[in-house]
Amino acid sequence: MSRNDLLYLMPLLVLAGGAILNMLLVAVKRTHKIMYVLTILVHIGALLALYNIKNITAYTVYPLFILDGLAVFNLGLILLTSLAVTLLSYAYFEQREERKEEYYILLLLATLGACVLVISRHFASFFLGLEVLSVSLYSLIAYLRTRERSDEAGIKYLILAAFSSAFLLFGMALVYAVSGTMEFSGIGNYLSSSRELDTLLLTGFGLMIVGIGFKLGVVPFHMWAPDVYQGAPAPVTAFIATVSKGGMVALLIRFFSQAGGYRYPDMLLIFTIIAIASMFAGNLLALRQKNIKRLLAYSSISHLGYLLVAFLAGNKLGVEAVSFYLVAYFITSLGAFGVVTILSDKDRDADKLRDYRGLLWRRPVTAAIFIAMLLSLAGIPLTAGFVGKFYLLAAGVNTQLWLLVVMLVINSVIGLYYYIKVIAVMFAQPNAKREPRKLLHPVFYLTSGSTMMVLALLLVWVGINPNGLMQLIHGLLDTFIAAR
Amino acid sequence: MELTFYVASAIAIIATIMVITNYNMIHALLYLVVSFLAVAVVFFTLGAPFMAALEVIIYAGAIVVLIIFVIMMLNLTNEDVQQERTWLRPKTWIGPALLSLVLLGELAYLVIAEDMPTINNQPVDARQVGLALYGPYLLGVQLCGMLLMAGIVGAYHLGRQKKKVVHRFLERSEI
Repeated sequence: MSRNDLLYLMPLLVLAGGAILNMLLVAVKRTHKIMYVLTILVHIGALLALYNIKNITAYTVYPLFILDGLAVFNLGLILLTSLAVTLLSYAYFEQREERKEEYYILLLLATLGACVLVISRHFASFFLGLEVLSVSLYSLIAYLRTRERSDEAGIKYLILAAFSSAFLLFGMALVYAVSGTMEFSGIGNYLSSSRELDTLLLTGFGLMIVGIGFKLGVVPFHMWAPDVYQGAPAPVTAFIATVSKGGMVALLIRFFSQAGGYRYPDMLLIFTIIAIASMFAGNLLALRQKNIKRLLAYSSISHLGYLLVAFLAGNKLGVEAVSFYLVAYFITSLGAFGVVTILSDKDRDADKLRDYRGLLWRRPVTAAIFIAMLLSLAGIPLTAGFVGKFYLLAAGVNTQLWLLVVMLVINSVIGLYYYIKVIAVMFAQPNAKREPRKLLHPVFYLTSGSTMMVLALLLVWVGINPNGLMQLIHGLLDTFIAAR
Repeated sequence: MELTFYVASAIAIIATIMVITNYNMIHALLYLVVSFLAVAVVFFTLGAPFMAALEVIIYAGAIVVLIIFVIMMLNLTNEDVQQERTWLRPKTWIGPALLSLVLLGELAYLVIAEDMPTINNQPVDARQVGLALYGPYLLGVQLCGMLLMAGIVGAYHLGRQKKKVVHRFLERSEI
């Protein structure tokens, strides 16, 4: 460990230190407010540490980690997303009577796990990051224990995640047995020196895809998504939909490009099938869904399918498109689940479609934000989702992935139906007068509300003027592409 | 030499299948111990004696024995003593005992055999493991610490007894 190593790993060290500090604080005194502020400060500290190293060319902390443009971009994205989730959490957890403080420790640790995924260049760090993320998520998902479905969701995620980790580990073992190295670049070197893809190696990659596919929630590894999305507390659902998937996408890009997976048609065929199946299954299953959280779960399955189109394109444009789409998807998912979080009351989350009946007349601003988010998910112009989808299509067309591009377009049309359906429900006249909910002090809602406003503004700003973000991604990814 | 590896692996697989198909928790745990012992022998044949020792000491020795003790000591009443007697019938322990015996025979053979019988012919000793863990993989070890912290904090939160606010009459009728 040299001084430089410490400097470059500082964002992660801040997160880890923050988690420990939080834990010690819980041991001394339980105060929700202080925990909340401290967690925000830890995030800001990590972001500052990241800003400090923004101009790096690829820097390797041998043998586990690598920090390059791709890593810096995704670290920033994950930290900002996690910060937004934290900001939304206070009002949500304050009105619930359970102990709230452990939530922030686990959230920090889960973020740390995702960050490790983003910067890993070695199977050991890959697996450890994945496990830190998963183990934190087990308890985050089942956090509100008195809820009806939280235990079910937690157990489902626990068993399936552990099972998929076993697949991943076995795949890694096979790859290691054949290639004799656990570094991504070492595997790439081995592959380029051998002429054909060994059957054992292909089996290993196949098993690894099971583990990776589970975390991404793509078909056929998507069965957990609706139940877990429904059972988890709304901020945690937002976290699963964004940070946990984003970390894995970044890792997949790094692993695939460093190990040279693009040279093998077999691998590309597997991912093509997964992408098409995810798009169709996600969109078709969402059509008849009456539960908002489940609907968003299916929608996120199909969005990961869209994302794989650009991933399969594989060249520089493809990676840029994936990065841009991740930003758009993160903003949109955070916004959508943020609305669910804000509308949730003490006993349950606002996840039924009828909770949204006439929302536009009852709470016009919240409804407007939700409509913007749904339109962005559907990919309507003037939103970030549109530009993201456009970028994906450009990447697909550029590499002549005609089948995938056509599928993407068809599915966008199918998807439009159920997003519009939710919007229509919000326009309907409200039912008989409900008794007004008992609200907390308005200050509690200040942070949630302003976070939502920022997200909505970002959504429109990226949608209207995507140039700034494009330049940023372009500049940061230069070092990654050069290193390939 | 390879035969010892295959026998030990077969025992590991059989014992693990017995773990997941047994309805009685104590039976399952006994087989789990055997499964860990078999994995330890597998490590040994592969030239990792240090890992084998760790497997026995930590998994079979500490963790599972702790679980068995906790299960046996919780709620000891007269009924439970009877229960314990039924648990320790020959039918229960003869299977794990036989499998362990095979493992013991293997281990004895491996120790007596003159050359260090490993499949890949360079054994990894404790010193090398330590140098790797606290050299290049130091950050990995620290990450394991974070992993344990996540597990403990989560288990603490989820394992806390729920305060039930139920009337005592209702509570009695539930039993």
